[in-house]
Amino acid sequence: MYKLILKMAWKNSFLRPARTLLVITMIAVSMSMMLAIQGLYDGMVKNMIDKNKRSGSGDISLYAQDYRVEKDIKYIIKDALKIKEDIQKLEGVKAVVLRLLADGLLSTARKSSFASIHGIDLNEEEEFGEFSKFLKQGEINLNKRGALIGIELAKTLKVRVGSKIIFSAQDSSGDINSIALRVRGILQTTNVGLDTNSIFVDIKSLHKFLGTSSKDATQIAVMGEDEKLLHVVKSNYSNLDVKSFLELQPMIKQMQEMMVIFNSITFFIVMSVVFIGIFGVVYVSILDRIREFGILLGIGMQYKYIRVQIFLESIIVGLIGYLGGAVLGIVFLVYLRDYGLDLSSFSDALEMWGYEAVITGTIKVSYFTSTFWAIITASVLSVIIPLRKIKKLNPIEVIKAEK
Amino acid sequence: MFSFALKNILFYKGRSITTFILTFISAMFFVVFVSWQDGSHNSMLENSLKIYTGAIEIYHKDYRNVGGNEYLIPDAKSITDKLSSIEGIEAFSTRYETYGLLSSKEHSAASMVAGIEPEKEKVLSSIALSLRDGEFLDKNSANCLYAGVELVKKLKLHVGDEVTFVGGASDDSFAADIFKLCGTFKTGSFEFDSTASFVSRAYFDELMYAKNMASYITIKVKNLDGVDRVNSEISKVLDDEDLESLTWKTLMKTMVEAMEVDNVFGYISLSLFLVVIFFVIMIYGFINVSSRIKEFGVLKCIGLSRANIFSLLFFEIFILSSAAIVLATPIAGYICYYYTINPIVIEGFAEMYKDYGVVSNEMPFDFNIYTMSWNLGLIYILNFLSILYPYFYINSYEPIEASRHV
Repeated sequence: MYKLILKMAWKNSFLRPARTLLVITMIAVSMSMMLAIQGLYDGMVKNMIDKNKRSGSGDISLYAQDYRVEKDIKYIIKDALKIKEDIQKLEGVKAVVLRLLADGLLSTARKSSFASIHGIDLNEEEEFGEFSKFLKQGEINLNKRGALIGIELAKTLKVRVGSKIIFSAQDSSGDINSIALRVRGILQTTNVGLDTNSIFVDIKSLHKFLGTSSKDATQIAVMGEDEKLLHVVKSNYSNLDVKSFLELQPMIKQMQEMMVIFNSITFFIVMSVVFIGIFGVVYVSILDRIREFGILLGIGMQYKYIRVQIFLESIIVGLIGYLGGAVLGIVFLVYLRDYGLDLSSFSDALEMWGYEAVITGTIKVSYFTSTFWAIITASVLSVIIPLRKIKKLNPIEVIKAEK
Repeated sequence: MFSFALKNILFYKGRSITTFILTFISAMFFVVFVSWQDGSHNSMLENSLKIYTGAIEIYHKDYRNVGGNEYLIPDAKSITDKLSSIEGIEAFSTRYETYGLLSSKEHSAASMVAGIEPEKEKVLSSIALSLRDGEFLDKNSANCLYAGVELVKKLKLHVGDEVTFVGGASDDSFAADIFKLCGTFKTGSFEFDSTASFVSRAYFDELMYAKNMASYITIKVKNLDGVDRVNSEISKVLDDEDLESLTWKTLMKTMVEAMEVDNVFGYISLSLFLVVIFFVIMIYGFINVSSRIKEFGVLKCIGLSRANIFSLLFFEIFILSSAAIVLATPIAGYICYYYTINPIVIEGFAEMYKDYGVVSNEMPFDFNIYTMSWNLGLIYILNFLSILYPYFYINSYEPIEASRHV
């Protein structure tokens, strides 16, 4: 019996092919657009988080108490090297780096700007966050007073690879010191703070310049996403200021939350409108065949079989629409993931906001599962009112009635 | 045809109500969304313009691209004399900017130190209005320094404290002096408040050996909408190939671009809603005509032309769309108008997005009749497009075939 019902449902789904195809097209187009938009927006945030972690704080960062407020090398982590070695032994830790940071004035022969100088160990940074991938121009080389400069800062100072720059800052004893550096490379980390005002030099040279001990650091950054790890580090180093990535970047946390809210609202509105579309078609389809249902009931077919048939009709249309949308959505998402959306004409603005000129998307299985359930639910709900109409039918009256 | 269309609308209530509601929602949503987006962008731009950047600025060519003392404006007075005669200019002033190190007893920080004309600056920018502590500068302020609160915090200074300055003078020699902190300001722009400081030009010119020189001349116009016209007049009056007069659109190119990108993403999101709603209106229109094939067949048999059928469908969608838009316009308009005057305030928003140049927690809307008109026009166009497929579908039937359709 159910096989027959399925066959009838399939045939009835395409009784008015133009109408059915319109609904299928509506579901497919709206679903694929929604998937592409979700993938693109999630990709933007994911990319931003990934690069911010790799270039900046990692998953966890440790500072001396008050350093983040005062931004003064007086508040340095003493014996950071030993702490680093201890953290490396903890379970879940992927990489640890030490960094030394100071604020000052960066000058060329013609221009000056405020800047932060970051002392880093290139080999450690490579292991920590594939540092060389941030290189936009030049080479990754900090030898012989070499420096790497953030792309926005390079634009401000009109600096190129090979340019000579002078960095002046206060050292640990309070004296103003200057150091001449040669730009070896220009970096684009898409971390706004780093791109707009940072230069990177070898950490040993910076220790020497600032007069600090090579065992000390202003920041210890840890890569390791385990939630337990954060608690362990926090309890082990309660004398330090230990912060997770999202604690240090409340803006990104808010962005993530806003993206979830935005995607949920979009999803709800689109699915509601899709529901209205399916409902209209199913309702009219049932009204068109009201005599047919009356005859079926009149010759003794049980209502439950008609109900199953109508549910199946709606689900078939919903499923075909879903499959069309999924295929189209995958095409869009794969394209966005592999080639991205090229917004090079707005590159200055995007770089200022910490995005790349080509924005790549991401693909999550959850996009397809949540949409699947939403479309099935919309399909099932859309037949409830039409079914109530059939249930109230008096078969004899319907058969007698003019169409 | 109009009355025929009206009768059809009243007869096919389901389709009429659905089309009306969806058109109403999409019109409301579209108008309010665009108003909010434009309002936020205008607010960001206006705030930036109010703080320090002028509507128009005059530079020596290459000062912005190359920089250096050889690209300072050498005879600023000759230019400002010419500006006085230009209609549309509200105020102007010269500025001399340099970067140097400011040091308190224990701390040092880099700063942009600008020599300004305090009285003129009161009209031109909001730095005087942003006074937090102490007092703003005047012509006779001598070595008084007026600095951003974040910069002062870095240097651990209080009003009345002394601070040393080391920088480069206009002739490339070293310039050093001891300033006295006379006042602090807070504009809300984190970057500006943590880097900028000001000294009266009367004093600073002596120190920097920069009398009658300027990094640039900043200009405030009476009406921002006429900035291009004023700018072209300035260029004409200056008539000097070594000078360039730039409007805020060029000076704040990155920010303008950023707004455009934000608009692109906003419209991408919005297009999803409009496409889905377009489809549903089309589907309901299609269902409606497909259930009236027989009726159309009979009408065609008695002489209804294709143009008449198109008119009928057109009037149906026109009446429904107009009714929805007539209702949506005052409601959406009121929402936009209300929030233009009473902006939405999100506490902590400016603090959160300070790195992105956001200086205010307020999010005003933009009540603009022209923008509203094109928004509503687009909804009309989408609704009209939705009758095309049903129209072609109906016309695919021959009159006899349609009149026998079951």
